Amino acid sequence: MQAVESASLAKIRRALRSLDELAPEQRGPVLAVEILSTFNLEPILPVLQLAFNCLPSRAQVRLAPLDDIEGYISQSASTGSQGLPHARIVAWRVEELLPEALYPFSSGFPEQLAARVDQVLARVERVLSLHQRNAHGVPLFLSTIALPVNFSNPVFAAQHRAGLFASVSRVNQKIYEVATSGAGVHVLDLASWAAFEGRVHADATVDFLARQPLSAKGQVGFALFMARSLRPLITPRRKVLAVDLDNTLWGGVVGEDGLGGLKLGHEFPGNVHLRIQRELLELRNRGVLLVLLSKNNEADVREAFNSLPEMLLKWDDFTVRKIDWNHKHENLREAARELGLGLDSFVFLDDSDYEREQMHQFIPEVLILNESPDPLHTLRSLWETDAFDSLTVTEEDQMRQRDYTVRTARDVEVHQGDLEAFLNSLQMEATIEEIGPANIERALAMIGKTNQFNLTTRRHSRAQLEGMLELPGSIGLALRLRDKFGDQGIVALLLATPAEDNATLAIDSFLVSCRALGRGVEDALWATMVNRANRQKVQKLEAEYRATPKNGIVAGLYDRLGLERIGQNSSSTRYQLEPVVHYPAPTWIGVATKSNER
Amino acid sequence: MSNSDPLLRLLTDFFNLPPGIPPQEITQQAIASWDSLAMVQLIADLQGTFSVEFDLDEIEALRSYAEIRCALSRKGVSLERPTVSP
Repeated sequence: MQAVESASLAKIRRALRSLDELAPEQRGPVLAVEILSTFNLEPILPVLQLAFNCLPSRAQVRLAPLDDIEGYISQSASTGSQGLPHARIVAWRVEELLPEALYPFSSGFPEQLAARVDQVLARVERVLSLHQRNAHGVPLFLSTIALPVNFSNPVFAAQHRAGLFASVSRVNQKIYEVATSGAGVHVLDLASWAAFEGRVHADATVDFLARQPLSAKGQVGFALFMARSLRPLITPRRKVLAVDLDNTLWGGVVGEDGLGGLKLGHEFPGNVHLRIQRELLELRNRGVLLVLLSKNNEADVREAFNSLPEMLLKWDDFTVRKIDWNHKHENLREAARELGLGLDSFVFLDDSDYEREQMHQFIPEVLILNESPDPLHTLRSLWETDAFDSLTVTEEDQMRQRDYTVRTARDVEVHQGDLEAFLNSLQMEATIEEIGPANIERALAMIGKTNQFNLTTRRHSRAQLEGMLELPGSIGLALRLRDKFGDQGIVALLLATPAEDNATLAIDSFLVSCRALGRGVEDALWATMVNRANRQKVQKLEAEYRATPKNGIVAGLYDRLGLERIGQNSSSTRYQLEPVVHYPAPTWIGVATKSNER
Repeated sequence: MSNSDPLLRLLTDFFNLPPGIPPQEITQQAIASWDSLAMVQLIADLQGTFSVEFDLDEIEALRSYAEIRCALSRKGVSLERPTVSP
């Protein structure tokens, strides 16, 4: 990483050589990326390679021939020799895509130039439909176009809706719209990247020499930006931010300075702490759970939450609060247990060097976000972190905070009474849907990140999932749960594909979201699957439990569901069910089935 | 030429040359990987590392350690003392 940030190409080459010596398992998942660009990226291939390797991944970066986007997409479908990539990037710039905009008065400004922009918009559509026809299911990253660095008449360029700046903006607007419409299209926002980097990202000499427009510094920034944009494809975002209170959410120490001495508001330095709270609230609203870890008397903290007028974060915005004098690492472990989440889902923010160091020593899986006590540094670490990066935010994400709050409340109640009576009292209604266009985003998200209740932990790409669903006789089911607290969204998936003889079905994936554990939804989904298999005259079900460090919770699931063990080795247990006998659905969940288009 | 010569170090790293290679052996003719693609990157790296911009006619004559050293000193870059940290 140091080599990448040093912007020295010589060091980058050296770092690549040493990465090559690492064992494959130390280098992360394989990530095949195809880049189609209108400018020459071949000279900077080692830089791109290193940036992707640092994710970490075993990146295989393939460059399409220069400026042959449509030709390459069409041809790749017909040959298919190298297999489809995990992601495809189309990177273009104004110099090739819309060169007329650089010379408006030689290009029929304004009418003809505006018409040329229309042609570019149509080209964007064309590239998209070509990609969808030939590489359906492969995530497509379309770049926006950056404002050029080298051109004349910049004052006039901003004065007309058919001028250079507005023309570039129209193209970019189109790219954003295409991505908003979904269907696996994302934006590689080179326009914003170039704006952040400034003119230093460009090098006119090498551009003229080899149509490679990036300076040494620019290449490194470009490669890191590209890698970060694709990172969510292979690295799930962290789910929880555990945060300190005194000198973080407000300035001062409530137990010592009293309410009147706390700094929070619109004046410096209280405005920095207020901004930290704003960032945290935004994280919470997009599905990152907040946990409060504070060494304080709870009564003091409650009073501050209730009476400080400028507090943006409310008591209930924290899914778990641990306000006592215990070690923070112990409290964090306890919070992880209560939430049913792994320690590597956690990020920690604290102004105290001691607390951060202790957390790091005791729970190295926790990501420590900040490195200094300075509140502005803390704020900056929230702005700059990639720990919470995601390409999409689903409704389920936005509901997450409420769901977990309900869940921890339920867990407390469970200890007080009879489990089945409690489950009955939740008034759970499950709707079982087929996996299809309406829910595939959620299904992919679950397949990509569910670790605990996951029998095989197979991470399928969109193309793989769609391929399996298209097999005649396959069964792909999603369970949507509603209870007295509201709609929980899709919380469980089951995917089965036919074996060679159509009388056997193999369970490929069976998973339940960790926020729906312990409620018997897996029994409801299994019962439905068995019924479906019976209707399809399936004679035998084959299943497998593949052990990972995280899925011990389901080690005995298939035994409990009545399957017979037929083989076992250190990492996998194989099961079968023959004949496919009826399985009773749990009495405490009402089950309805809904057929939707596949 | 000492080990602290930043140009020597850059070229050694860039082309993965054995440490201690005599500078006079660093020429485009002698180094197989010094092709046109490497040339583009080398120019970008030199311009970035030494904060210079080569004139177009200079680019034609950056074919060895000696030529690059000469071009850099014309731009006022002194290689006697390191200009970048190791």
